Amino acid sequence: MKNKDNLRLIESRKKISPPDIHSNKTAMEGGCGVVGLACNEKIAGKHIKQALIQMHNRGNSKGGGIAAFGLEASQFKVSQKSLEEDYLIQIAFLDPDIRRQLEDEFLYSNLNVHSSGQLPHVDNYRDVDGLDAPPPDVWRYFCGVKKEMLDQFILENHLTTLDKRKVEDEFIYQNTYKLNKKYYTSLGEKKAFVLSHGRNMIILKIVGYAEQALKYYQLENLKAHIWIGHQRYPTKGKVWHPGGAHPFIGMDEALVHNGDFANYHSIAEYLSQRNIYPLFLTDTEVSVLLFDMLNRIYEYPLEYIIEAIAPTTERDFYLLPEEKQKIYSAIQASHIHSSPDGPWFFIIGRTDVKQKNYQLLGITDTSMLRPQVFALQENGVNIGLVASEKQAIDATLRSLHNEDQRFLPYADTYWNARGGSYTDGGAFIFTVKGNSLKVTDKFGNRVSSNREHDCPSVQREATQSKDIHPSDKIKELTQIIDFRWKLPIRDRTNVLTHAEKNLNDTFFLIPAENETSHLYSYIDWQKKDRLAPPKRQQEVLVIDCEKFPPEGTRSISRFIVEAFQIGWKKFITFNWRGQRFCGCGLGSGSNDVRIDVYGSSGDYLASGLDGAEMCVHENAQDQVAQVMKNGKLVIYGDVGQTFMYGAKGGEVYVLGNAAGRPLINAVGSPKVVINGTCLDYLAESFMAGNPLEGGGFVILNGLRFNEKGEIVELDTPYPGGNLFSLASGGAIYIRDPHKKAEESQLNGGRFGEITEKDVEIILPYLKENERLFHITINDLLTINGELLPLNRVYRKIEAIKLKVLSKIGY
Amino acid sequence: MKNINIRHCPSRYRSEIGKYKVSINDMCFHCGLCVDICPHGIFDRIEGFNYVSTLHSAYCLGPDCSKGPFYCAEKCPVDSITIELDPQWKTLGDYRWTPDLIISTWQQAETGEIPNGNFEFKVGASEGGFDKFDFTIKNTHPLSPEEVGTINLSIPLNRRQEGQKITIPVPWYGAGMSFGSISLPTMLAKAMAAKEWGTFTSTGEGGYPEELVPYRDHVITQIATGLFGVSEETIQQAPIIELKYAQGAKPGLGGHLLGDKNTSEVARMREAVPLTSLFSPFPFHSVYSVEDHKKHIDWVKQINPEALISVKVSTPSDVDMVAVGSYYAGANIIHLDGGYGGTGAAPEIAKKNIAMPIEYAITKVHRFLLEEGVRDEIVLMASGGIRTAYDIAKSIALGADGVIMGTSELVALGCVRCGNCESGRGCPRGIATTDPELESQIDVSWGAQRIVNLYATWEKQLKLLLCQLGIKDIYQLRGQTDLLRYIDEK
Repeated sequence: MKNKDNLRLIESRKKISPPDIHSNKTAMEGGCGVVGLACNEKIAGKHIKQALIQMHNRGNSKGGGIAAFGLEASQFKVSQKSLEEDYLIQIAFLDPDIRRQLEDEFLYSNLNVHSSGQLPHVDNYRDVDGLDAPPPDVWRYFCGVKKEMLDQFILENHLTTLDKRKVEDEFIYQNTYKLNKKYYTSLGEKKAFVLSHGRNMIILKIVGYAEQALKYYQLENLKAHIWIGHQRYPTKGKVWHPGGAHPFIGMDEALVHNGDFANYHSIAEYLSQRNIYPLFLTDTEVSVLLFDMLNRIYEYPLEYIIEAIAPTTERDFYLLPEEKQKIYSAIQASHIHSSPDGPWFFIIGRTDVKQKNYQLLGITDTSMLRPQVFALQENGVNIGLVASEKQAIDATLRSLHNEDQRFLPYADTYWNARGGSYTDGGAFIFTVKGNSLKVTDKFGNRVSSNREHDCPSVQREATQSKDIHPSDKIKELTQIIDFRWKLPIRDRTNVLTHAEKNLNDTFFLIPAENETSHLYSYIDWQKKDRLAPPKRQQEVLVIDCEKFPPEGTRSISRFIVEAFQIGWKKFITFNWRGQRFCGCGLGSGSNDVRIDVYGSSGDYLASGLDGAEMCVHENAQDQVAQVMKNGKLVIYGDVGQTFMYGAKGGEVYVLGNAAGRPLINAVGSPKVVINGTCLDYLAESFMAGNPLEGGGFVILNGLRFNEKGEIVELDTPYPGGNLFSLASGGAIYIRDPHKKAEESQLNGGRFGEITEKDVEIILPYLKENERLFHITINDLLTINGELLPLNRVYRKIEAIKLKVLSKIGY
Repeated sequence: MKNINIRHCPSRYRSEIGKYKVSINDMCFHCGLCVDICPHGIFDRIEGFNYVSTLHSAYCLGPDCSKGPFYCAEKCPVDSITIELDPQWKTLGDYRWTPDLIISTWQQAETGEIPNGNFEFKVGASEGGFDKFDFTIKNTHPLSPEEVGTINLSIPLNRRQEGQKITIPVPWYGAGMSFGSISLPTMLAKAMAAKEWGTFTSTGEGGYPEELVPYRDHVITQIATGLFGVSEETIQQAPIIELKYAQGAKPGLGGHLLGDKNTSEVARMREAVPLTSLFSPFPFHSVYSVEDHKKHIDWVKQINPEALISVKVSTPSDVDMVAVGSYYAGANIIHLDGGYGGTGAAPEIAKKNIAMPIEYAITKVHRFLLEEGVRDEIVLMASGGIRTAYDIAKSIALGADGVIMGTSELVALGCVRCGNCESGRGCPRGIATTDPELESQIDVSWGAQRIVNLYATWEKQLKLLLCQLGIKDIYQLRGQTDLLRYIDEK
């Protein structure tokens, strides 16, 4: 703590008695969909709306909310000074009649209200599709604390040594607490609550989907540097007011959360020892109260706040510099009992009044149990995004691209945070200051798409000639998309955007199924009822997936199954918009099926695949190839969480990285090549027999493409602290010429000999990898210009008979 | 409903354990009187001889018999017959599964009849829960004999508007026990019995043995956290898919099959390495929230759109919210697994010590679903320590639609509740084992018949009870907690 006098702030709260309620959580909420964006230009609300719509299936229309930071003074009809210095208080009146009384009691008596007014809204809430209940009236007040009130507050609480602004913050905070306690918590009937009170920020919540808040309160054109949004999935069905919806506030920050803690009570108890009491009784509220306390009272720098919330543990801790270890262990000693335990992912937006900037943070729990994707695009305008699903990010970018060509429909880079790690700390911070957007990890290391890196630009325009046969054109454009990684980074997204557009145009030119006997046949959502068995020459069904729903009986994956059942074997699917389950349901008789996937595919792709071949020409998402049994899957990009969980077999090639827990609990004979790396927990409980006798294995190459498009080695082929834990079968062949993988990463495995027989078994897969991705075996085996034998470049990790696993009855 | 084939199906052991032990001492001069007078067939003789060849003590009514004119111990001219409590009887079971419960279950499985009076076959001796409830029959109006024939015990397994309608004629189905934890003949016997009765059994987590495919219309397949043996094919051939999140006997601990039960056969089915312990994680690695759970269900429905979805959860304190969450995620059946169940393989420390007692959980969930207004959209099934027909009725009166029976079926096959399911080669009686020699003890059609018989007596007992309570449809019993009383309450 920088200033011990801050403790007086905690003291001053003793006067605000705890609420007279049980502190039990009122509803369990599960996951939810979260999204955030930060841009060096102000972005209109309608763009984040697209991401929120994409994540409907992560909410259940029982709650949604948005927050915006770094606003436009003119849109609020206040001066820039007022926007920056006044507290922007927004109050939701569940009972409109209470307003006058409340204002007199909590606003006009304590505060100088510089301007106020009701938020405009759509006249009839029924005009907003899907809204079942009228949202509350929201009033907005720009205010500061009355001088005499502040002086009295300082005097009463002996706060003279503190910065006045700090005391004013506390006054506002306590004022809000009292208001909420009186009008929300203590009443049998809830009448009003404060939505937000920070500077240069607003929050709106609704019983419905988050984007309906934008629509109902007419904020689609509101501009802000930072937006965060949340689709809620409470498990209680009857919700009549949005008090429990996210975001929740601290002071100048708002937090949305995806997950569920096991230690709500422990955190609530910790806070109550500091005279802080939750009133809304959700995990999310205590999280942001915790953040606010660490920030405002303890005045920790962001890095330490993150450490207090998501501690660095195990091997990662010991890989930190010694100095950091000392500080972190002190932080952990003081705060571990208030660190949220369980699956969670936070997105926080904040106005940093002191530094005069706006920040967007994404923090994941140590075990990375919730989905998270970060992204960055630097194409003239710099925009950073974070969301539960990549497709939500793409939806926002697409929406921006349609309006402003400086934005491209895909980001330059997408990545995942490695929770509680020594590498990135499991958190990324997007800071908008003036006209710049800076991205850093927990430790302050800069993340950049390296666009400014000086490397020659290569423009590869696709051939525009009309007479070229579609199949050649598809092939050529596919090649461009697949191998965009080999281009300098500044060109990748441009090339992808153009190639995809050209490719889509090519697909759109393909005639529909019953019009001609062409090799290809086109179909989309409008034409779907005209699906017919393939005619003589027809081989490939080209499906525009855009309008298909993300799941359910009319989903694209069911449509593919239906087409398969009437005779189609080859599918080109494009314009994916995050729809799930692609390739599921084909069953075991699908050996001659091939599905090509272009666009933003969704979760559970190829889960259960049993014979078919699938090719994803982009990053793939979470839960890919779960229980895969047979067949082949090629991914020209990264793949998300729990990739191949419980898989039984099949051949899979991944050009990039896999996120957390790939191949966990896999059995049988899966054969996998991952050219990048994994976040952690690779092949935990792997039970895939003996690889030398047909069992399964993973080849992990530990490579990346640098900004010039060259293949280079990663600093370490596997950064995680858990590799092959508790495995009883199978093997990992890790490309590790510099012996960077350590015994301490293995919990149950051991480094073994690579014999002739091993080489014989893995070579065919490396050859196929070479054919698919042009990553040659020669390159893989050439270290510092010298071609080495495979067993000097690769290391084998194999199972040892563990006591705990061979245990017989007790 | 079709006629159920009930046949006498004696124990597979020459001398089954009974409550009483009959012995004949050296004074016997083989007059054959006892053989002639005993109506229960305790004394067996070879045709043409007077001397007793085999003693079937298990059928003996004990001292109760002295009231009748055929009390052998009294009639024997030389007082050579002694009747006493069988010392083995005392060693059977535990407070939940009392010796009486075990032996009366065997009897029911043998005869298909309600046991005679000298066994406590309705409750155990656990001093709590089901064992301390009874029905209040006082103020009820019993049904007339004509009405008894029309009593309906069937329950639907899908109460939603959409999806296929499946109804089972009795309010229970068989529990999921994996191949590996129990033997294939045991699984087959369960499946055959389910087919005979038109109800279901479940594969458990260890894969779907081919031998079960002929019974597929009556087999639920399970997708559990280890995903062992799960493929699109197994999902596509099952009318009901059970997503197992936790087991009441060991919530939060996942599943485990210790090394020596993982024989090469089991390992083949699960595609794992033989003789290593197999662990199912807790929870699903891909499901850490309600919306993940919905996605998981959506996935199963993509693979088999026809299937009904059952969600099996244990009973944590927020089980009510879990249930509602599952309803909104699209589940048809909520399967609450309480803490009493589990075979010997569940760690002692976990059994009965973690989950909420099923009696509380049922009512909590039932009422919460009522408040939410979705009670009649979802089927609530309870399991975990439901042993008798009376437990079934009590569960339903507490608010369940029906129940899932596990251990009782194994007891019907001769389980003595020794609790050694997991160790060594497994069950000495060939039930919970995969040892080829041990498992050959069970003849499938014998096993099926035993379970069929047990189901038959449960049906009779439920009908009798409903008749006494004046209820014509089992649905009307649901949630009628006022019909229950706490025994010790004055």
